[in-house]
Amino acid sequence: MSSPAPLLPQADTREAALFFVVCALCFLASFAGLVARSAYAAADSWADQVTGEITIRVRGDEAAAARAREIANASPGVDSARMIGRDEAEALLAPWLGSSGLPDDIPIPFLIAASATTDAPAVADIIDRRLKEEGLDASVDEHSVWSSDLRQSTNTAGLAALGAVALLIATAVAVIAFATHAALLARRDVVEVLHLTGARDGFISSLFEQRFLMLGVRAGATGALLALATAAFMLFLVRQSQDQVWLLPQLSLSLTDGLILGLTPLLAGLAAMIAARVTVMQSLSEMV
Amino acid sequence: MKERTISPDAPPLRFDRVSVSYGPGLDVLTDASFELRPGSMTFLTGPSGAGKSTLLKLAYLALRPSQGRVSLFGVDTARQSRGERALTRRKLGVVFQEFRLLEHLTAYENAALPLRVAGDKEKRYRNDVRELLEWVGLGDRMNARPATLSGGEKQRVAIARAVVMKPDLIIADEPTGNVDTEMADRLMRLFRELNRRVNTTVLVATHDMELIRRTPSDVLRIANGLLSRQGQEAAR
Repeated sequence: MSSPAPLLPQADTREAALFFVVCALCFLASFAGLVARSAYAAADSWADQVTGEITIRVRGDEAAAARAREIANASPGVDSARMIGRDEAEALLAPWLGSSGLPDDIPIPFLIAASATTDAPAVADIIDRRLKEEGLDASVDEHSVWSSDLRQSTNTAGLAALGAVALLIATAVAVIAFATHAALLARRDVVEVLHLTGARDGFISSLFEQRFLMLGVRAGATGALLALATAAFMLFLVRQSQDQVWLLPQLSLSLTDGLILGLTPLLAGLAAMIAARVTVMQSLSEMV
Repeated sequence: MKERTISPDAPPLRFDRVSVSYGPGLDVLTDASFELRPGSMTFLTGPSGAGKSTLLKLAYLALRPSQGRVSLFGVDTARQSRGERALTRRKLGVVFQEFRLLEHLTAYENAALPLRVAGDKEKRYRNDVRELLEWVGLGDRMNARPATLSGGEKQRVAIARAVVMKPDLIIADEPTGNVDTEMADRLMRLFRELNRRVNTTVLVATHDMELIRRTPSDVLRIANGLLSRQGQEAAR
């Protein structure tokens, strides 16, 4: 005689439908998790790119600009300061004003690009103060407003994605609990026979827990793999389009992504198992 | 889990003024009191709807009484924990009127279910279960699933499942309802054999007055929810 048959009947169409729903929820949850992680990574990357970069705009003649550059170079915490020539300035404006060049009579302010050591405190303030002491008409921009707005935007996007993940997990748990209850009702005959044959509540519950743990893990793993495939496809598309790649979220797969993808089936399985236990124990408590 | 001490002389089943009501005017069982002697064989009879199945459900712990006390093996079941009640159920062998076989299991697996639930290893019980199924005439149907079995075959599987643990108390609801007279007598002989050999107490609900006349036993009669004892019937 071969090994004994499982005490619960094999999965039926209800469980196939539940598998699909949990799989879809896990796909959405892990994909949202990947997007949230990418948004945070992109924000860090963009902020890192501008951190320590200071732009000085000088209104006046070439001598004022040269003096401003000297002051910037001499300020503590500044590694280097260089003039941005007219050609370079026109190139920076090209995305907005076109590449046909600017008429000579349109004044372009003198720009100085300074690099500061990132741990130097308030370098921009020091340069600004010294320029004013010299009586130069100049403004100093350390991109803090842009960087701060960027961080705020990506943090908001990241929080929204995390909220979506939390909502999807809660929905998955609710769906699993509902489906477990339905499955239990469909298997009530089995539960009653086991109960009346002397099976302890924990024994009966463990049958459902194992069944739904495996269902959750399988559905979660499938959803996570689909999310990985979708992310990889998006990464491929992004890399195919050469332009402005740096503006898009960082879709390279990291350890954190692996953690998100690895945790998805475990969390789905755990949620399914706990939902099954609570539902089964609740139903059994109604029996004598 | 520690089980409450059970006295060997304690009545396997005892009802003290037990009533079951599903609402005002819906009394199914009223003030029923009786006890079964250890090793006795008792028939419960009465017209359909008289409350036989309700009384049996109370006895095999599928129903709580509205009033009164149901004791199994000298222990008030209302005072038992759920774990203790599970262990008490393992001392019972129940033949349900509607068989209640698990459709996805074979006849062999259904018959062995109580042993599996109790945690026994299959290699230890395999031969006993096979012998039992052969004894009830299902030697060639062990691997058949309930859907392919006739009513009588299902009933014999249900009986095999009820007796496989050599229970202290067998509770059977119309166990011979779907079998011919010869098989009915054979099944009753099985109950009697357990009754004599291992002192199993047997409570059988039946409409079959011929069966009661042919089988030495005590008789409880129930009508309109009221229970009366009729003493021994049939020649021993």
